Amino acid sequence: MAQAGEIDLRNVTKRFDQTLAVDDISLTIPHGAYCCLLGPSGCGKTTILRMIAGHETPTAGDIRIGGESVAGQPPVRRGTAMMFQNYALFPHLNVLDNVAFNLKVRGVGKAERHARAREVLAQVQLDRQFAERMPAQLSGGQQQRVALSRALITKPRVLLLDEPLSALDEFLRLQMRGELRRIQRELGITFVHVTHTQLEAIAVADLVVVMDQGRIEQAASAHEIYTLPASAYVARFMGGQNVLAGTVVSVEGGVATLVDGTGARFATPVKSAAPAEGQQIACCVRRDRVEVEKLHAPSRSSGDATNVVSGAVHAIEYQGSYVKVTIDVPRSEQFVANLADHVFFATPLDIGDAVQARWATEDVHLLTGDSTQPPTGARPAPLRGRERGSRSG
Amino acid sequence: MVTGSSSGRPWTFYALAAFFTLFVLFLYGPMSAIFILSFQGPNGGLTFPMNGVSFHWFAALVAQQRSGDFVGSFGRSITLAALVLVITVVISIMAGLAFRYRFRGATAVFYMAIASLIMPGLLLGLGVGLMFQFAHIPPAWFSSALGAQLTWTLPFGLLIMFAVFSRFNRAYEEAARDLGASQWQTLWHVVLPILLPGIIGVALFGFTLSYDEFPRTLIPIGSRNTLPLEIWAMTTDVTSPALYALGTLTTAVSFVVIALALTSIALIQRRRARRERDRADRREGRAAAPTAAAARVGAGSGDA
Repeated sequence: MAQAGEIDLRNVTKRFDQTLAVDDISLTIPHGAYCCLLGPSGCGKTTILRMIAGHETPTAGDIRIGGESVAGQPPVRRGTAMMFQNYALFPHLNVLDNVAFNLKVRGVGKAERHARAREVLAQVQLDRQFAERMPAQLSGGQQQRVALSRALITKPRVLLLDEPLSALDEFLRLQMRGELRRIQRELGITFVHVTHTQLEAIAVADLVVVMDQGRIEQAASAHEIYTLPASAYVARFMGGQNVLAGTVVSVEGGVATLVDGTGARFATPVKSAAPAEGQQIACCVRRDRVEVEKLHAPSRSSGDATNVVSGAVHAIEYQGSYVKVTIDVPRSEQFVANLADHVFFATPLDIGDAVQARWATEDVHLLTGDSTQPPTGARPAPLRGRERGSRSG
Repeated sequence: MVTGSSSGRPWTFYALAAFFTLFVLFLYGPMSAIFILSFQGPNGGLTFPMNGVSFHWFAALVAQQRSGDFVGSFGRSITLAALVLVITVVISIMAGLAFRYRFRGATAVFYMAIASLIMPGLLLGLGVGLMFQFAHIPPAWFSSALGAQLTWTLPFGLLIMFAVFSRFNRAYEEAARDLGASQWQTLWHVVLPILLPGIIGVALFGFTLSYDEFPRTLIPIGSRNTLPLEIWAMTTDVTSPALYALGTLTTAVSFVVIALALTSIALIQRRRARRERDRADRREGRAAAPTAAAARVGAGSGDA
């Protein structure tokens, strides 16, 4: 028996005229989960949210909430409430009347609905003094709390948040995402949160759904998405990984060896997958599991070694606890190493230094999805549409 | 750059200022002349110089003798303008709502509505008059003239509503629906209040366009005149400054209507901004003034 706040999308497709916004998606979001739909703009994440809310109708497929199909039901009957991007607070009503709007249209008397609105405002920790303000007189963070209260007063089993933090500045964004997580825990209801920011998603979500071009690339816990991406797309989009691709030359003892277009050799554990010799595969290695060594002789060929790339330091960005070192690898994609600050400052590098990056085979993860990935090498990797999205994110 | 004056302003400044002065004189000169002459003394004539100053001609208007049916025509004009206002507002709002969807024939309907703006008013009035004659309905200010005026105010109202709706964020409607409001509740509690300043604009246009209307109303008016028609009739047979007094009075009415509309728009917007403070003042404000002032300061700093 499905619990009240469980959302079940079954083969949901949405077309707008000729554009396919959502392409045959199936997904189950457990009751009481904090789920983030993550992807570049135009990937269909907001459309999914709006279909769950009942503001769009699926072209095909079924949406079930709490085990029942909600097709054709208005939002309130579904038990969903939505927090809109930019909040859509009614500009002609003050905070209290905005929050009490749902009670007003249900015919609850003024005194009672105002009392209930005050309770909810207290729950989201909005100061009493703001209750009589107009939305235009509030800061972004305060508006967000009002929007949240206005949605929560309907006692929803599912709260839908469309880019809830995008209108806030960096500091507030960090504060509010913690706040959202706290409120979700307190209420124990299902949250579905749409975002294009990777760090936001993995910071708050129990379930991260990475989307691209109307499809789900991977749906898993934040930790799994980040450390064990399913496809090269997810690995690139989440950042934190270097994607390596090439042709399998041997598979031995659970380890596959591949050679890329430049002749570099990489080894990857294959686990349950069984790539055949001659197959194009991709794998990835975490940026923070890479060692970087300065070469004193000019770059020598790395063809003889495995899990090594050489190149010149392209950029060095200090990030506080670590240092991000970007390496230009000739005829290949840029390679990034995140070095712990004490490691970096023990032997500092400079831009233009010839370096060699190396890593252990057990830190490499085989990417199973997206085998259409073109081999790296021979030419600088062209930016495909989907990668552009990841860079902006 | 060479400037021609010690104050550092280029000569073009003075040239344009002179041009603008001429423009203002041209615009307000005739009106001012009529305004001044309407206060002509009892023995004064239709032209300058002034022969004393008095309210004699205003009194003559109300006395209703040779100066025509001023009171009656004024009453009809105001009533007709009010009717036009209500009909224009209601239909424009409905049309504005409808035109947000691309319904079948939307473009054709739109161009047909706009066409009546372009058609010469006198001809349109003639057409309305002919239609009523054909249908054997006696023309009157509240039927045929009303119809003729609506052909003028409705397209205007529609165009204004287009502008108003183009700035309306549909997320408000979705939010209302999301919160359980029915279609009617959404319209009544959300859409109309948010659009209210624009709606007042439509009302203002409807009223003043009707109140001043002449060419379309001339033929289908029937036996009893509206004010502009009465004034026109008077110019042919009244040869006293009462005519000017009438002009001054009707202009004053127009200004009052415009002022009312603009102040109500300003008040609505101010109230949206202020309501909170007033209430806060009242609440905390059984308290002394310093508390309220402090609340206000607090409110101000919170906006940042």
